[in-house]
Amino acid sequence: MTSTEGFKRHGDHSYVAQFADSEKEVLLNLCEQIIELLAERTDHGNDDPLAAMVGITSHDSPPEDDVLHRLLPNAYADSVDSSEFRRYTESTLRAKKQAHAIVMRIHLKSSEDGTVDLDHDNANAWLGAINDIRLALGVRLKVESNSHEHLEILAPDDPLRGVYAVYTWLGWLQESLLAALIDDVDSKSQPENS
Amino acid sequence: MVKTADKVEEEIRAIFSADTPWVTIVWDDPVNLQTYVTYVFMELFNYSKARATELMLQVHNDGKAIVSTGSREEMEHDVARLHEYGLWATLQRGDQL
Repeated sequence: MTSTEGFKRHGDHSYVAQFADSEKEVLLNLCEQIIELLAERTDHGNDDPLAAMVGITSHDSPPEDDVLHRLLPNAYADSVDSSEFRRYTESTLRAKKQAHAIVMRIHLKSSEDGTVDLDHDNANAWLGAINDIRLALGVRLKVESNSHEHLEILAPDDPLRGVYAVYTWLGWLQESLLAALIDDVDSKSQPENS
Repeated sequence: MVKTADKVEEEIRAIFSADTPWVTIVWDDPVNLQTYVTYVFMELFNYSKARATELMLQVHNDGKAIVSTGSREEMEHDVARLHEYGLWATLQRGDQL
């Protein structure tokens, strides 16, 4: 699945990639799934509508699903502090992550020939969305430190083999966008202690 | 929820030490690419590439690194932004490291 060259920098703050139809389809499909996954929980029916309007929810326990738990982690080691923080922020975090994937979906959908051209902010949204997809796939693949061996030797008919191929391809795609971005960013930031 | 005596004691201590700095900690993660972690530190904290790389390596080698210091509210803001970009971050009081 590496028919594209990944992202390349074109002039100032323009990052361009060209995707084959099959790649576009895979990326769109993953965007849809992550957007759906991040939708608000339906396991609470007694929210105060006013509280909900400002993003406060009645649920304060971490998500039971492993993937969601990784995408929406605890902010404190302490469970009481963590619950309080979650009550006030989880809804916003879901919306922000969804927004990243929606930006990615819009670019892909509006591109007829598979070319996407991102500015700096859009590139950040793509990076966030690709990263969330990789985190989700990584949990399903049980990726742990130095544990890629068990994934490299998956049987040809193992469904996880295809998932692992997408996972590594997304890592490569993310790396190409980062390479195009990082020198741009570094030339802007101030050197410290000098 | 019934709070334990320890918890109450801790809160009372916190009230009388409002100036205690809090810290944001980023934890090692097997999925996030090293380049990505470095980039997020540069973007969110405006760190130089050298400083961001140093912190990323500390996360990778030691399992965690303190990436910012400030008031509790500031650290909650930092943690929320790090979570938005998929880094595994928590905050805690600086005197309880």
